[in-house]
Amino acid sequence: MRYQPLLALSACALCAPAFATQYLTAEQAQQAIFPDATTFRPQPLALNAAQMQQVEKLAAMPARSVNWRVVGAYKGDTLLGYMVLDEVTGKFELISYAVGLNPDASVKQVEIMTYRESHGGEIRLPAWRRQFIGKSAVGGGLSIGDGIANISGATLSCTHLTDGIRRIAAVAQVMLKK
Amino acid sequence: MIRRAQPWLGTLVEISVRAEGGLAEQAINAAFMQVALAHRLMSFHDADSDVSRINLAAPDALLSVDEHTWQVLQLAQEIGDASGGIFNIACAPRLVAWGCLPPPAAPLSFDPHLAVLCCEEGGTVRKLAPGWIDLGGIAKGYAVDLAIAALCEAGIGSACVNAGGDLRVLGSEPWPVAVRDPQAPLRTGKLLQVADSALATSAAYFTTRRHEDQQVCALLDGRSGEPLPNCASVTVQAPRCVAADALTKIVFASGNPHHPALRVWDATAFII
Repeated sequence: MRYQPLLALSACALCAPAFATQYLTAEQAQQAIFPDATTFRPQPLALNAAQMQQVEKLAAMPARSVNWRVVGAYKGDTLLGYMVLDEVTGKFELISYAVGLNPDASVKQVEIMTYRESHGGEIRLPAWRRQFIGKSAVGGGLSIGDGIANISGATLSCTHLTDGIRRIAAVAQVMLKK
Repeated sequence: MIRRAQPWLGTLVEISVRAEGGLAEQAINAAFMQVALAHRLMSFHDADSDVSRINLAAPDALLSVDEHTWQVLQLAQEIGDASGGIFNIACAPRLVAWGCLPPPAAPLSFDPHLAVLCCEEGGTVRKLAPGWIDLGGIAKGYAVDLAIAALCEAGIGSACVNAGGDLRVLGSEPWPVAVRDPQAPLRTGKLLQVADSALATSAAYFTTRRHEDQQVCALLDGRSGEPLPNCASVTVQAPRCVAADALTKIVFASGNPHHPALRVWDATAFII
């Protein structure tokens, strides 16, 4: 029994991210991308096989998901555009982000919502990722990294993010373009 | 405090301001627009950028470029001269050969002694010889300076702009900055307080990989085009981020944290 606290501590240290920052919640991101919008409506997408193929062809990469989290931004009844939420994992980092799209499916703005790094392979484990779900920037759900304003170091390439944005642009072309 | 981040210049650009409300949001938007401008002008990947136009131009062509691009090219030349060619924006053919950059055209060989371009009067650039330039070692710093100027103009008194490790602090109130440990890059190697100045760090831990039989990375010695050893991290502090960004490569290649070029741009450096 007496070893349990120690075990719990080491397990916690394992799952603690090296650097983590919360920038925006989904609500804050939609406000930042569409400041003139008066209403936001969830409009989730589900792609069929033919649509998946179209996305893969346009993006020149696997379509990955059937389901996409999409929010429509409106001013009164006028559609201003869409926001698509997604996340990408790199070798060390997990980034959740929002892509703002114009009604013609062109990319309007990209905002990072959260950024986390991890020492080990946990970044790919669903359990590690789950602990961040529902954590909000306002509530300060992530305390690790607080007080560290910035990291200086070699540039971490954001290839995965660029690929993710390209995929979303393709989904928008196929599914959302007016 | 408001913190936002967007992907630009091949990395994440983070803007933090010690202010709240609509005016602070607008200031951040204006600052991101400046970063986006630098990205559009100086991207190696974007076929419409000034950099791509220069790369695809034939020798002897005279090109009109944006004032910002011209300023960066001019400073790159000065820093190249002050470092005896260590800093060399014309290394791009080598980076393309290693697969670090996409080829803009048919393969080119790299000659470190070849002058590819020179800046001329009236915001123009003369292409002197076949070659490709890449501003990846200096443009992020310049973009940070532009963003800081935009925040300052918008009346922000305390801010930090960080383009993937090249950062600058506006105002006399210090910001804590963690420098990555080169041996364990996801940990803090050194914790600093930065006020009213720029800080840039270069290291190869995220870009090192094998190409054929050689260990390559995005950092190389402009005098030879050879990759730099992947063991240390160099941090330079200077008033302007554009200078700090470029000067890290000189300290990295020379191994000298007191390289004479640092003094020219009022900079200091350390290696960890």
